Amino acid sequence: MASSSPPPAQAPVLSPPNPPRPQQLPQPLPVAAVKSEVPVAEPRDPPASVSSIPLEPSPAAVAASYTITIPSCSGWFSWDQIHDTERRVLSEFFDGKSASKNPGVYKYYRDSIIRRFRGNPSRKITFTDARRGLVGDVGSIRRVFDFLEEWGLINYTPLAKPSAKKGEMGDDSEKKETPRRICSHCKSSCNMACFTTDKADIILCARCFVRGDYRPGLSSTDFKRVDITEETKADWTDKETIHLLEAILQYGDDWKKVAEHVGTKSEIDCVARFIKLPFGEQFLGPEEVGEYGKPHQKNDKVVTVPEGENVPEQSLSKRMRLTPLADASNPIMAQVAFLSAMVGSDVAKAVAQAAISSLHKVDIAGGISASDDRLQSAASNGAKEEEAVAASNGQTSSDVLNEAVAEAQSQLKKEEQDVEQYLSDVVQVQMKEIQDKIVHFEELELLLEKERLQLRHMKDLLFADQLAIMQHKMQLLSKGNEKGEKVKQTNHVP
Amino acid sequence: MRSFHPGASKAPMKFRMPTAENFVPIRLDLDIDGQRFKDAFTWNPNDPDSEVNNFAKRTVKDLKLPPTFVTQIAQSIQTQLAEFHSYEGQEMHIKEKIVPLKIDLRVNNTVIRDQFLWDISNLESDPEEFARTFCKDLDIGDPEVGPAIAVSIREQLYEIATQSISSARETRVGKKGRRGADIVANSKAGNTVDLGKLFGSKGSVIRKRKEWYLYEPIVDILSNEEVGALDAREELNARLKRKLDEKEESFQTRYSHG
Repeated sequence: MASSSPPPAQAPVLSPPNPPRPQQLPQPLPVAAVKSEVPVAEPRDPPASVSSIPLEPSPAAVAASYTITIPSCSGWFSWDQIHDTERRVLSEFFDGKSASKNPGVYKYYRDSIIRRFRGNPSRKITFTDARRGLVGDVGSIRRVFDFLEEWGLINYTPLAKPSAKKGEMGDDSEKKETPRRICSHCKSSCNMACFTTDKADIILCARCFVRGDYRPGLSSTDFKRVDITEETKADWTDKETIHLLEAILQYGDDWKKVAEHVGTKSEIDCVARFIKLPFGEQFLGPEEVGEYGKPHQKNDKVVTVPEGENVPEQSLSKRMRLTPLADASNPIMAQVAFLSAMVGSDVAKAVAQAAISSLHKVDIAGGISASDDRLQSAASNGAKEEEAVAASNGQTSSDVLNEAVAEAQSQLKKEEQDVEQYLSDVVQVQMKEIQDKIVHFEELELLLEKERLQLRHMKDLLFADQLAIMQHKMQLLSKGNEKGEKVKQTNHVP
Repeated sequence: MRSFHPGASKAPMKFRMPTAENFVPIRLDLDIDGQRFKDAFTWNPNDPDSEVNNFAKRTVKDLKLPPTFVTQIAQSIQTQLAEFHSYEGQEMHIKEKIVPLKIDLRVNNTVIRDQFLWDISNLESDPEEFARTFCKDLDIGDPEVGPAIAVSIREQLYEIATQSISSARETRVGKKGRRGADIVANSKAGNTVDLGKLFGSKGSVIRKRKEWYLYEPIVDILSNEEVGALDAREELNARLKRKLDEKEESFQTRYSHG
């Protein structure tokens, strides 16, 4: 079941109380106005100063004309129509699979629930209230209810603090930082990580990315991985990261002060974030990481982000030692040059080779351009390093091929060995089987032999008996004859 | 062996609710620690089992019931669903075609009484739509009436469907718990309407005037005192019935062991 979640509530927008008029809320313009205005404005500005749209309705104060607010992300809602979002999320009503689940029924549920809520907007409507007043099976009603609640069409109360809202809006302007994105391919929300490409303004969830059906113009390398779980938890904006690094530079180990400087993050969060920033390793063990770390980095983020994050840190700490580079026109090269200045030219060359071999193409310009403003400088060695990097480009592809061939061969050998091993195992098993059979047959033979002996014995006995009987008979016969003769004799005699 | 004349049943089919959607009516009537919870709704048996638990938790949370209700509600729903599923493999023979259904409900302050004919063999029938139209046509203010009507119709249809299963005919022992105190379920599905007579040469489709009053829906709105009185009486009845049931059970167990 695909469920999409809206981006976090942006400026809530007024909508007049709900006569069943189609209220195409006039958001597009005012929202834009609000959005662009507020991040620039001082955070202390009272909300009333923001054009004609108060950010906080006051339902209690004005009894007659209470206001219903819904988030501007749900501005598509209209009483008379069913929007694509609804069709998409609650597809069960629109796919025609069941006769009684049709758009009319959906509209009935939706309108009833929203009307019910708006009849008493200060009180959140519960699912049980809703389903008790609606005819239908509670499963579908629940799904409609959840959908409406998620999109703020019911039970939505705008946030009280203007600063919280501004923080969110500041986040929203940066597409990267927004948690909970929708995959443009399968229309499901991405939770763990999503892959974005700036070439085409597409977001893919992990599954679609792995499956590989992008548009023909894109390849897997064009995508940048954005970890959402981390972001949703930590939600670190670039500004906060800069603050963090500045604070660390200034206060060192005093995490309390660092947290204060950052402002919106606790100590633990700051420490965790600092640890997660991977740039430290590069400078602890540059040889190792440079050569072996990079080829295995599928995670482009590590390649790109540290370059963005490193620069402020490094520039801050090494500003003394390095002369700022005049050339910031090619930001990637500038950063590469900058980093390579840190580690030395050999390591930088190795790093560059490895990075290029794992990326195939270096197209990080789009991602890094956002951090342009944070670039402080590039070393003067930059030009030299650029040449070195450019030169190494040509060699890398043949190296890569050779490597691949060698690896393939070794794998092949291994497989052959494995196959031989398996064959010998199989043969062994067969032999064991045969051996067992032989043993079995021998036993059988033994048994048979015994039986034969027994039979012979019995035959002998039988023979003996027969003999005995014959003898007996003979004896009797001969006795009989004798007796007969005697009788004859006696008969004769007289 | 089977004579094929128009009134007889068609080839037996697998058990299902004779409606467009194969939904199950669920009725809950729990009494835990003196707190009574009654509810009735329609459930889609194809929903995953996890829905049952979620629904129970949500209901308890929404109505602020004590948490012991969660397991009880979930179990009750599961039992009724299991019963429904146990019928599913079997065949049912639908003999009757048109049956009268009765509605006799009290929902909060509204009393509804109605009777109408329903075609059992129409597998596209929709009790939900009937209930919605009913409430709209009769301008019923209380939104809780609709679901109650739909559930009542479904329960009667369910009863008819289960009775038409041949193997189930023997095991018709004391079906408790299916009837709430509010409604009188129509279990006499036998008094079908004989279509032949009705639409034959002598009969006419138009209902006789003297029968109109039988089929006219009645909607009454009660005052709060009347509601209170009725509630109290039902409570009393329910308690007495429960006591009787308990006695009967203990009687059975005692003498079945002897």
